[in-house]
Amino acid sequence: MCSKQMGSDDIGQWRIEYIPDKPPVPPDQQPTVDVVASPIDPKFANAIVRRLNQVAPLENLRHVKRVQKKCLEGGKAELSVVLCIVPDNGDLRGMPPDVQELISSYQLSTFTTKVCKYAALSKEEWEAQCKLWPTSYHPPTYNISGITGFSEDDSRSVFSFMKYAVELATSGNEWVVNAAVIVDPISSQVIASACDQVCHSHGSPARTSAEPRCYGQVAAISAKSDVNGRTDYDSLPQNASSNYLEQKGAVVSCLSPWSWAKKCAHQSSSSLWHPLRHAAMVAIESSAERDRQLFPGSGRSEDMVSEMDCAQYSAGSPAKRQKTEDLRFQVEIDEKRDVHSLQGPLEKPYLCTGYDIYLAWEPCVMCAMALVHQRIRRIFYAFPNASAGALGSVQRLQGEKSLNHHYAVFRVFMPQDTLRSVPIPLS
Amino acid sequence: MASSGEQQERCPAAAADSLSFMELAVQQAKLALESLEVPVGCVIVEDGKVIASGRNRTNETRNATRHAEMEAIDVILDHWHRSGLSATEVAEIFSRCILYVTCEPCIMCASALSILGIKEVYYGCANDKFGGCGSILSLHIARGFKCYGGIMASEAVSLFRDFYEQGNPNAPKPHRPRAAQASS
Repeated sequence: MCSKQMGSDDIGQWRIEYIPDKPPVPPDQQPTVDVVASPIDPKFANAIVRRLNQVAPLENLRHVKRVQKKCLEGGKAELSVVLCIVPDNGDLRGMPPDVQELISSYQLSTFTTKVCKYAALSKEEWEAQCKLWPTSYHPPTYNISGITGFSEDDSRSVFSFMKYAVELATSGNEWVVNAAVIVDPISSQVIASACDQVCHSHGSPARTSAEPRCYGQVAAISAKSDVNGRTDYDSLPQNASSNYLEQKGAVVSCLSPWSWAKKCAHQSSSSLWHPLRHAAMVAIESSAERDRQLFPGSGRSEDMVSEMDCAQYSAGSPAKRQKTEDLRFQVEIDEKRDVHSLQGPLEKPYLCTGYDIYLAWEPCVMCAMALVHQRIRRIFYAFPNASAGALGSVQRLQGEKSLNHHYAVFRVFMPQDTLRSVPIPLS
Repeated sequence: MASSGEQQERCPAAAADSLSFMELAVQQAKLALESLEVPVGCVIVEDGKVIASGRNRTNETRNATRHAEMEAIDVILDHWHRSGLSATEVAEIFSRCILYVTCEPCIMCASALSILGIKEVYYGCANDKFGGCGSILSLHIARGFKCYGGIMASEAVSLFRDFYEQGNPNAPKPHRPRAAQASS
């Protein structure tokens, strides 16, 4: 799903799509249950349904409508009703006696049919379900940090940072590379940003290629300085669109991580290259350096020491301020807000807890696991990575339950003309 | 210690060599432990000679990706770069290198080793939470490297145990599942 090319209906609008922990089931392949049903005379419908709800309630199929109405030619309607689930052994004589009695008293002619086993999670699933047998659908009303939708303000912020990341990816003039921007969503501050440094002399934007081996020199750019240092739009490809970028993606490290030797083969011996310096890895390094600069000392604080990243048994980390569990992101934000107001903005971060990362391309498995280690809260990417993407395209790391941290993953769809028209972050 | 006959048959490298290189990796892990880091260490071996070593530095750097493997890889890449080797030459040398590491490489490190095209990996104990060489994902299979586990696993596990016992005296008693046996 997330590896598909952008379709024509994707072009017009900014859009954020949640990439779930499990691969989505195609709407027409949802699990089903066999039920016994029968056409009924409309004038007995009320009585029959009332009786069935007493003697054979559909306990685990509450989303399934009891009655199906089919419009026949001439405007006449035919009603059918679900009597009960087909007994385990498939033998209809195993139906509840009360149902059998109902069948004989109304002289029903039963048939078996399929209904969907689980309630629909999306409109598409619901529409597919109703082709089998009508169900009800209740769109989710809760909201957990974007998983079921973003507020207008939050969306605008996501779009600006994504635009910034894609701009970074294209700002090298010659090559399009991957770019990563780590953001503190509470302050809308850019914590670190970086481009691929696999083939360094080609890969990085002017801002970072000035220094040799610029490990972490991009630390702590504020949103303001991003505006000042923003790329000249004229240097962007005039027809910059997602398809264009995907075509030019040949040097994006996460798309073809194994071909570094070929990519860097023609580099002069003095040029800098490193097979593992993908944008996300460099951004993590920058954010760590920023941490060390802003909060010198105490690198061996208790919460660090109790951290466990390498072995098969995990110690609890009681000192950890924000415990990250699957879908509890909103709670974390609220906690963090409180902490900010109490202790001021310079509270020492624990790795990248609470931070988001914006990537032009879906990361490879090395980068995706690095972002687990560094405790990133949410990942936004613009373009799927069908050859090596680890967040839905090839692997789906966000669904690996054994990991000790889980982030939420989103794909951001961009309109064709965005690179030239949307203003950069705001402060 | 996993130097059983079966292990010798499975490991192309001579068992005695494996053990002596793994001893060096354990020494690195002990250095990490002394620095209050998660005790994982490794060495990279080319043609029977240790060319790099590394140990976990995640706390010191506040960069949770600075695992022993990444440290050792950066040491040797930096050396080769200064020696003026080309990317093609570096790729060729990596294809002859063997990594000895006290704990199964995590998903990130296993992927990195696959990207580099390393020849073989020998590890100590399995990594049931993050392992990328069979425990969680099997990144060594498709575009990877030969991988053998269980070499000096008990030493590796005992270092982890020491880490938790010395690591954080102020913390409440952590939940500590029993040490799992290393794979194979």
